[in-house]
Amino acid sequence: MTAPASAPKSPETTDTGAYLRVSDLRVQFPTEDGVVKAVDGVSFSVERGQTLGIVGESGSGKSVTSLTIMGLHNTKRARISGEILVGGRNVVGMSEEQTRRLRGRDMSMIFQDPLSALHPYYKVGAQIAEAFKVHHPNASKSEAKKRAIDMLGRVGIPQPARRADSYPHEFSGGMRQRAMIAMALVNDPDLLIADEPTTALDVTVQAQILDLLEDLQREFNSAIIMITHDLGVVAQVADDVLVMYGGRAVEFGSVEQVMRRPQHPYTWGLLASVPSLHGDAEADLVPIKGNPPSLINLPTGCAFHPRCRYAGRNGERSFTDVPELHQVKERGHLVACHLSEADRTKFYAEDIAPSAGVAQ
Amino acid sequence: MLRFITRRVLVGVVTLIAISIIVFGLFFAVPSSPAKVMCGKNCDAASIAAVETRLGLRDPIAEQYTSFMKGIFVGRTYAEGTAFEQRCDAPCLGFSFRNNEAVTSILGRTVPVTISIVFGAAILWLLIGVSLGMISALRRGTLFDKVAIGISLTGASMQVFFFGLILLYVLVYTSGILPFPSYTPFTDNPAKWAQGLILPWITLGFLNSAIYARLSRAQMLETLSEDYVRTARAKGLPLRRVYTKHALRAAITPIVTIAGLDIGASLGGTFITETIFGLRGLGKETVEAVSFLNLPIVVATVLLAAVFIVVANLIVDVLYAVIDPRVRLS
Amino acid sequence: MRNKGGALIVGALAVALTATGCNATTNDGGGGNSGEAKTQSGSISYEAADNTGPAKAVDGATKGGIVTSMYPADFEHLDPARNYVNLQQLTGNLIYRSLNGYVEDGTGKMLLVGDLATNPGTDVNKDCKVWEFKLRDGLKYEDGSAISSKDIAYGIARSFAPELNEGPHYIQQWLYPGGTYNATYKGPYEGNQMPAGIETPDDKTIKFTFADPHCDMPYAAALPTSAPVPQGKDTKGNYDLRPFSSGPYKVKTYTRDNLLELERNPNWDANTDPIRNAYPDGFKFTFGLEQQQISERLVADAPADQASFGWGDTPPAVLPRTTTPNVANRIAKGPTQYVWYLGVNNLRIKDKKIREALYYGLDRDAALKAIGGSSAGEPASTLMSPTTAGFVKFDVYNAPPTGDVNKVKEILGGTTPPPMVLAHSNTALRTAQAEAIRASLEKAGFKVTLKAIEATSYYDQVGRKNNPYDLYLHGWGSDWPTGSTIIPPIYDGREIVDEGNNNLAYFNDDSVNTEIDRIKTLPAAEQDAAWTALDKKIMQDFLPEIPAYYDATHEIYGSKLGNVFLSDAFGAIQLNKIYVKP
Repeated sequence: MTAPASAPKSPETTDTGAYLRVSDLRVQFPTEDGVVKAVDGVSFSVERGQTLGIVGESGSGKSVTSLTIMGLHNTKRARISGEILVGGRNVVGMSEEQTRRLRGRDMSMIFQDPLSALHPYYKVGAQIAEAFKVHHPNASKSEAKKRAIDMLGRVGIPQPARRADSYPHEFSGGMRQRAMIAMALVNDPDLLIADEPTTALDVTVQAQILDLLEDLQREFNSAIIMITHDLGVVAQVADDVLVMYGGRAVEFGSVEQVMRRPQHPYTWGLLASVPSLHGDAEADLVPIKGNPPSLINLPTGCAFHPRCRYAGRNGERSFTDVPELHQVKERGHLVACHLSEADRTKFYAEDIAPSAGVAQ
Repeated sequence: MLRFITRRVLVGVVTLIAISIIVFGLFFAVPSSPAKVMCGKNCDAASIAAVETRLGLRDPIAEQYTSFMKGIFVGRTYAEGTAFEQRCDAPCLGFSFRNNEAVTSILGRTVPVTISIVFGAAILWLLIGVSLGMISALRRGTLFDKVAIGISLTGASMQVFFFGLILLYVLVYTSGILPFPSYTPFTDNPAKWAQGLILPWITLGFLNSAIYARLSRAQMLETLSEDYVRTARAKGLPLRRVYTKHALRAAITPIVTIAGLDIGASLGGTFITETIFGLRGLGKETVEAVSFLNLPIVVATVLLAAVFIVVANLIVDVLYAVIDPRVRLS
Repeated sequence: MRNKGGALIVGALAVALTATGCNATTNDGGGGNSGEAKTQSGSISYEAADNTGPAKAVDGATKGGIVTSMYPADFEHLDPARNYVNLQQLTGNLIYRSLNGYVEDGTGKMLLVGDLATNPGTDVNKDCKVWEFKLRDGLKYEDGSAISSKDIAYGIARSFAPELNEGPHYIQQWLYPGGTYNATYKGPYEGNQMPAGIETPDDKTIKFTFADPHCDMPYAAALPTSAPVPQGKDTKGNYDLRPFSSGPYKVKTYTRDNLLELERNPNWDANTDPIRNAYPDGFKFTFGLEQQQISERLVADAPADQASFGWGDTPPAVLPRTTTPNVANRIAKGPTQYVWYLGVNNLRIKDKKIREALYYGLDRDAALKAIGGSSAGEPASTLMSPTTAGFVKFDVYNAPPTGDVNKVKEILGGTTPPPMVLAHSNTALRTAQAEAIRASLEKAGFKVTLKAIEATSYYDQVGRKNNPYDLYLHGWGSDWPTGSTIIPPIYDGREIVDEGNNNLAYFNDDSVNTEIDRIKTLPAAEQDAAWTALDKKIMQDFLPEIPAYYDATHEIYGSKLGNVFLSDAFGAIQLNKIYVKP
């Protein structure tokens, strides 16, 4: 197992008031086949009222990152280092009981498939009330229920008092995700992690849910992490974007920076493979060739090099050195790529921009 | 819910009627005449005829079936009008001329034995097996888990008669710690009842515990990886509550199904256990009746076993619906 | 009589059907080592000393205690009219008394004496056609009422009923010779109260009149057929469950297939009974355990089991544990009334020379080893069992137990015997035994093919006159311990019919038939020697089939039981003189 040559530097962020600050997070799972480096030195932060989009293919480490923040990873098996400050408290190394108290109250999470994420045997209202009651032990049963119905109403479920007594399987997909959101927000959390919240939903419902999240964010002023592989979603809701590949951050910047002036060839690939929300629906989609790398045996050098058509344009470094995340000319925009900024701009303008969707 | 239960009951009744017809047809179509088997050495045509008349074997099968079914509701009289008339009161499941006894009274003696064995053992295997499996799942990979898996592998691969005989040798024959198993009705003396059945309980209970431990461990592990368990943790629920309220209820559902069917099938007779411990339950009764071609008992016991299974199915279905709201719709 | 049923073997579905009557069951299981070769000197006694109660006291015996029997299967019938199995008869003997009975002490000196009767019966005209029995004084039933000779007559009458047909039918057949015993008279439930030929001039006398001489009537009168049944107590089919007691014990509880409990009958008077000591206060017959478990428990001799015994043969698996001194002294073993023969179908193997060659070719040791080694029995050289009255051991051909291949060659003199089919019951032990016999015969130069037959129909198949088999294993046991229920049923060629034969050799010789008729007219006391002589003559002159081995039994009992011995009449532990040690 070759360890990375050196730890990447933290991005130079100035957001001292960030509610969530993740610094040099590493999550490893020892297995019989070797150590899975699920997250390998990732840093980012999110302020209240702000939304960070984390994008990447499956296996890029985005979901592990979010589960680690929540303390929902397999605590016994995972080796975690780095720092996760939630409202100033470091979650890494915290006891299960301490993180449990934070979960659902200070930070909460909604998941991709609301049907499987809701317990099939319990009524929707009861599940929400339970989430409330666990952090409000003094609240009475009826208070908790009232709160649950109230929340259901706020996420736009009609006749919430009646629907609270329904089971998840009696809801439609969109309704279930609304209920999920109601459950996540029942304790007014400061941080909401949404892991692919719209992937399992119809396109029309997707937009409604994203709108709902935006509305609620304004109302609750919470920090949101939106995990997705869909750059369209990011473009719609995020303020900042973190692009992950092979457990590492490969690009970071504001939505504007990453979408309009993407620097990393992997980001280009993502952009090219997404249909445009605004542009020409007929434009050809260009999928990224190859498969995501094995997290046990990452390629040497730049983990993306086997799939990168520009690998080797700048000597042999792509194959030997792990690129560090460093700032480009534009402030706040970081990229981990061996290509010179001039080359990147040139390649993007010539090869990618004409067919990429979002950037137009 | 009521409609659901009614529908299941109706299906059960139809199943039982179908089974009774098949059983009747099968057993009465067997080539060897039970009358001949019964009358032994002094068997001449006249004696066989006498026995056949007593057993009602001379009537057409359809007629025999009707009298049998009628007997269940209104009782019947065998060898009517002869000196050997035998009244069999409702619910009459037949009359065994070999035992000179109504089948219901034979069942009244043997069924409690099997029920005692099965329920005692079931309590053991559910308590030990399910808790062992659940704890193993929660402590996956620990020494406890490994030891539990080892024991349950051994248990699951062991045969009832082998394990039972070992227990007999160790606890009864050589050390005399326990008396040889025997059946005392619970109502006569609960302590003696339990003492006499402890070995079959241990035997059947331990071996099934092994199976149930493996099953529950697998079920619990599967449930623990479910999204809704993660949701429960994400809500900030304490682990204990996550396990007991969210994981257990889901993990237990298939176990309830299997346990219900296992218990139902076992009530039809635990022949090997009964044989090893010399307890005359439904299983031993049935097997002996088959070997003696004692048809009235065979028909009744097979039917009773079918009733147990149908009823167990019904209970499992209803329980399932109670546990899992999704089932109520279908 | 029929042998005790086979034991169900753990996990296997051994069918314990007793086949056709006196044929031995297809019972699997070992037996005892019939070590003590005792010679039967039993006979009928008219001596007053032998015929007067109370029974001779057993040294050291004490009254009291409960004896427990452990046996796999429940009795089929206890109703005296239906009781034809040895263990049932031993048990029935505790509950009801017949006209005659056997005084036994385990030394081989078995005496037939009067039981209810004052002596074994009077041959009124000295032609064995009219037999008169006088009942003792002071005989009472369990309710205190007097036992009348009319009740004995009624008991016999009801045994004619087709519904109660399972018992022995000697007396019935003698009363109605020619055709089926109950072709004309069908018992007291239809028509006549009493069969023809029985008179009860007073309550103390019963007289039988037969058309033909039946000199062994004293033995037939020892069968349960002559047990008294008061008409008012006749519960017909249910009588099986609770026979009315005329003996020392009465039924306390009887749960079919589980437990039969006997308790003392206070109205039984020991002074009227020369046969039974009735030391224990009661008996418990428990059913349902496997024979293996029973034997294990008896070997273990736990305190609760010390007054217990098992009538079943100790299975081979347990035998090795019975050799330690504290078990070995608790074993009753010896020959039973059964002899197993390598039956030869004389309709197919007509040449005596070939049968003689088979006699030498058979490896008797191997045949025994296959069913449990030397414990299963011992090699036989006679047609009648060592338990038969007047038995004298002889060996006409003097073959070694392992056979004599050279002798076979000498007899055959270079000729090739025809290929033969050996039929056997398809149980595990009988199959192994047949294989051993085939191997030994092949070694001697015979060509033998095996044919397995379903156990339940085995005797039906070989009992067909034109069956296609040359050789078959079969066993036979006497109904009473004289040659009269051995030689006539299996070697009287005039009895051969199309189906259901007992003469499985299909042997028919006029000189033998004539001799059978002659012996039957001899006084009972003279018959024993005559049957033995005929046995020898048949062996010497005809050798219709090959005696293979004398069946033996091997029964274990608990350390608290005293005076335990095998009954010569029944081939199992006798209960009349057993006692519980304090």
